[in-house]
Amino acid sequence: MIPAQYQLPLPLDRLIQDAGTVGGGDRMEVDALIVGAGPSGLAAAISLARLARERGRELAIAVLEKAGALGEHSLSGAVVNPAPFRALFPGLADREFPFRAPVSRERVHFLTSRHALPLPTPPPMRNRGNYVASLCEIVRWLGAEAERLGVTVLTGFPAASLLVREHQVVGVRTAPLGLDRAGAPGSAYQAPNDLTAPVTALAEGTRGLLAQAYFEWQRVPSANPETFALGVKELWEVPRPLDAVIHTLGWPLAPEEFGGSFLYPLEPGLIALGFVAGLDAPRANFDVHDLLQRLKLHPYVRPRLEGGTLVEWGAKTIPEGGYHALRARRSGAGVLVLGDAAGFVDVPSLKGIHYAVQSGIFAARAMFDALEARDVSAERLAEYDRLVDQSFIRGDLYARRNIRLAFTRGLYRGGLAASAMIATRGRFPGTRIAVGADAAVPRRADHDLPMVPDGVLTFGKLDGVFKSGNATRDTIPAHLLVPRDVPAALAQFYAHLCPAGVYEALADGLRVNPANCVDCKATDVLGPRWTPREGGSGPRYRRM
Amino acid sequence: MKIAVCIKRVPDSEIRVAVAADGKSLDEAAVKFGLNPYDEFAVEEALRRREHAGAGEVVALSVGPAAVQETLRSVLAMGADRALLLQVAALPADAWIVARALADALAGEHCDLILFGKLAIDDYNQQVGPMVAELLGVPCVTAVSALDLEGEQAVAQREIEGGIEVCRFPLPAVLTVDKGLNEPRYPTLKGIMAAKRKPLEVRPVELPAGGIEVLGLRLPSPRRPGRIVEGPGAVAELVRLLREEAKVL
Amino acid sequence: MTAVLAVLEQREGTLRSVSREVVTGSRHLAGPAGRVDSLVLAAGAVSGLDRLGDFGADAVLVRTHPAFERYAPESAAHVISQAASGNYDAVVLGATATGRDLGARVAAKLRVPLAADVTEVGSDDGSFVVGRPVYGGKAVQTLRVTARPAVISLRPSVFTPVEHPKAGTVDTAPAVGIADAGRVVVVDVKPARAGTLDVSEAAVVVSGGRGLKEPANFALIEELARAFGTTASVGASRAVVDAGWRPHAEQVGQTGKTVSPALYVAVGISGAVQHLAGMRSSKVIVAINQDREAPIFNVADYGIVGDLFEVVPALTAALTRLSR
Repeated sequence: MIPAQYQLPLPLDRLIQDAGTVGGGDRMEVDALIVGAGPSGLAAAISLARLARERGRELAIAVLEKAGALGEHSLSGAVVNPAPFRALFPGLADREFPFRAPVSRERVHFLTSRHALPLPTPPPMRNRGNYVASLCEIVRWLGAEAERLGVTVLTGFPAASLLVREHQVVGVRTAPLGLDRAGAPGSAYQAPNDLTAPVTALAEGTRGLLAQAYFEWQRVPSANPETFALGVKELWEVPRPLDAVIHTLGWPLAPEEFGGSFLYPLEPGLIALGFVAGLDAPRANFDVHDLLQRLKLHPYVRPRLEGGTLVEWGAKTIPEGGYHALRARRSGAGVLVLGDAAGFVDVPSLKGIHYAVQSGIFAARAMFDALEARDVSAERLAEYDRLVDQSFIRGDLYARRNIRLAFTRGLYRGGLAASAMIATRGRFPGTRIAVGADAAVPRRADHDLPMVPDGVLTFGKLDGVFKSGNATRDTIPAHLLVPRDVPAALAQFYAHLCPAGVYEALADGLRVNPANCVDCKATDVLGPRWTPREGGSGPRYRRM
Repeated sequence: MKIAVCIKRVPDSEIRVAVAADGKSLDEAAVKFGLNPYDEFAVEEALRRREHAGAGEVVALSVGPAAVQETLRSVLAMGADRALLLQVAALPADAWIVARALADALAGEHCDLILFGKLAIDDYNQQVGPMVAELLGVPCVTAVSALDLEGEQAVAQREIEGGIEVCRFPLPAVLTVDKGLNEPRYPTLKGIMAAKRKPLEVRPVELPAGGIEVLGLRLPSPRRPGRIVEGPGAVAELVRLLREEAKVL
Repeated sequence: MTAVLAVLEQREGTLRSVSREVVTGSRHLAGPAGRVDSLVLAAGAVSGLDRLGDFGADAVLVRTHPAFERYAPESAAHVISQAASGNYDAVVLGATATGRDLGARVAAKLRVPLAADVTEVGSDDGSFVVGRPVYGGKAVQTLRVTARPAVISLRPSVFTPVEHPKAGTVDTAPAVGIADAGRVVVVDVKPARAGTLDVSEAAVVVSGGRGLKEPANFALIEELARAFGTTASVGASRAVVDAGWRPHAEQVGQTGKTVSPALYVAVGISGAVQHLAGMRSSKVIVAINQDREAPIFNVADYGIVGDLFEVVPALTAALTRLSR
């Protein structure tokens, strides 16, 4: 079974709307529109507001965010490289940033089903000088900084389509609010709003819908297709402090599957624990939530959690394609693509937040210059690509361009090749390793090893959804584009893949529970496509 | 028509409660705060009454720390005309003190209606509304789930055990409102933008501690393992347990 | 000596059952040597007063006025505060729908706060110390009430009436100082229908699942909910909602429809995780199921393993007898 055969095409007719049409709600015009209040979008907003202030310009800057409040859809590990934060806030000391403790000790282990073998920390994974942090906290802090600088942050307004005039992006249209289950306006209905601006920055995060739409609409190529991993993360309050940043490889993954776990001490009594695995795994019953639950029972992990409490749960995809999956350009007429939406993630070092912030800083420079010159043409805004390409963003991704790709040949061959690549700073093997899209990887049936959650250490998907704070009203219309006829094997594939129990394989076919969705985008990669729901739907992460 | 809405900023109802280091207050780490859900119905009712009357003003008031400005701003975004925060470092446990502060602020406003949510989901005190009414010398109806206004006269419904009381009273009046009175609106983009420019006055006030002192906050005892009752007397035994042990009947 | 005024509630001339709890709670506060006077406002004679002495009332004061035919919030608050002012250390009410309204009014007239919805009472060094649930029952707050009189409302069904025989003399006299009901007049009391309450708002939720076998059998669930009173509502598992037996609004367990009533009764529901996620924060959970292995029993406080078609009608009958 090949998932791509069942995936519906991106609904470009809905996602690209002529600017002459009317959404029916409010209309608002600003100078710069930023879609997504994550690290890249907020860094862009802050940087742009500062540039305007320094030059004595009045700029109306708006940031649209689909979450009901700042940070509620933000999730990361995270160990953060503080360098771009220092660049963005030159007057602040590290201790004034919303980070938790600096990384003092770190360990990498290869797990077998019973043992944990210590490995030397591979150079890209060394975290000296970096900080453990919660992305929710970073985003709330950046959002407050942006608002202090006069930026308008509009939470609860998902961007649902790009407004365009010929090849020019001129703004976005938001998703409507208050639709009933059948998609008809209810008593609290609010029509889509139209926001327009000379320049729009798409900072939607992983698998950004409008970024995908833009690249497909304008046929912007990339050498390799973007590939993704899915991370499922839990926060645990524990009685015993964790003394190091820990990563594991190996079990419970098969050698042909790429991924691993992380355990980060957020506070002495609070552990961030997660499992991340590539969505190219060939097993049809591949289930990252299940892998995380199994991991917690491993003798190396279990004692660190025992006696503790699960306090938060979440899931998110991560773009893993690296350098070869970057689009030929991340800018165009009236538009820029930032951060995760552009694929600025380095898998070997497990980092993307600092690239997101840095890309926001570059985007602000390009936007400001374009607005000053009253020229938002593709040529003018290509300044953004030049800045990115001359920076460490491109430098890091280029040097490690084939490392993740090597693991498509399995853990052992990949590991060997990766060591050679690191040792030669990317000169080996030199050429690009070609990979296909995740959805094009055939999946083979495998026998299930059902695991019954004990409700103490291990939990079901719905418990997870509950702990994500998701309180989406259950009369929400379906927002996932599901193919008409779903064979039983495919229904089971979706049910395993989705960490939030949105899909259930029943005797008579597939059942979809759209309200459970936490916007991780896993099935957007491999199956039913994701479209935005009304603002404020989805998870309400606090410290993810 | 001039309407005041008194609102409260409360922790989200889904919170996991942890006790702060002082042993008597909520540990606010990782707690999300927002507008008390019952107050949303009060705000919505105020806006509808103003819109129905075709003219008038909706004033939002609150007592609390500086962070309440954010909550008042969200009420302005829904459509209130202006807001007043009586800023204190922390709310006293004594609701009479809070009511006095609000009544002092409301005395000069001469409102036709003063609306509250029927309760705040943090402390369940359910008393500031009626106390403000007493202080202002106007009638009060609590837990209103339906309301008809005709000139200076009004008829409200309130739920009681086993029935619905229908009350008649003259305006001006204080009402505390229940779910079911209306469906609150989402703030619009225009509303959010307009709210940034609407007047929000912050008036620092000093409040005495009053006649109630918080000694402690603790978590309830954990749930005991379940019990299966069987046999011919099972139903009678269940009823006895629900009455005497669980105390839910 | 501590003197407590216990404010009792009557409807249509019959004392409400919460009244004995209020007398019991008042006796706790007053201590064995203290004085507990009960006050009842009524339009005429009230039945059930003779037994109040058994629960610790020294005297029962009945104050009559035609306005007390129905609840007259303003006049009632006036008469109670006049009686309490200067004469008592504490005024105690039941936190019923009426008591919640009246307690705040009485406290305001006495210019003191109300310690509302109290579940624990005691005294410490001459001051009253009470406990009350906050944050939706997720925590218990302990308060010292230094205001005098201390006005306290007691959560119903918490203070089990305890026999503590006292004289219980009844003194009936017309209420003075009021002309009529006041500005707020209750003009009608309409009966409420069970099941109209939204499941997320109900104090008691009775839910049915596939074990009911067919839609018509949901009548058993509706009757049981009615027997629990007007704060009860009917819920349903997802299986039966999807099967079209019940409207979607009744579904418990889907994200967004999380319920945490004081009492949740799951009938013929096995307890799929989806359902458990939506109701496990209920205060007390009762499961009725034929299958002893059903996961619902893992979260239930009380369970009956048996045929629901026998158990449910018996339970309905027992509850109906109880409420009479």
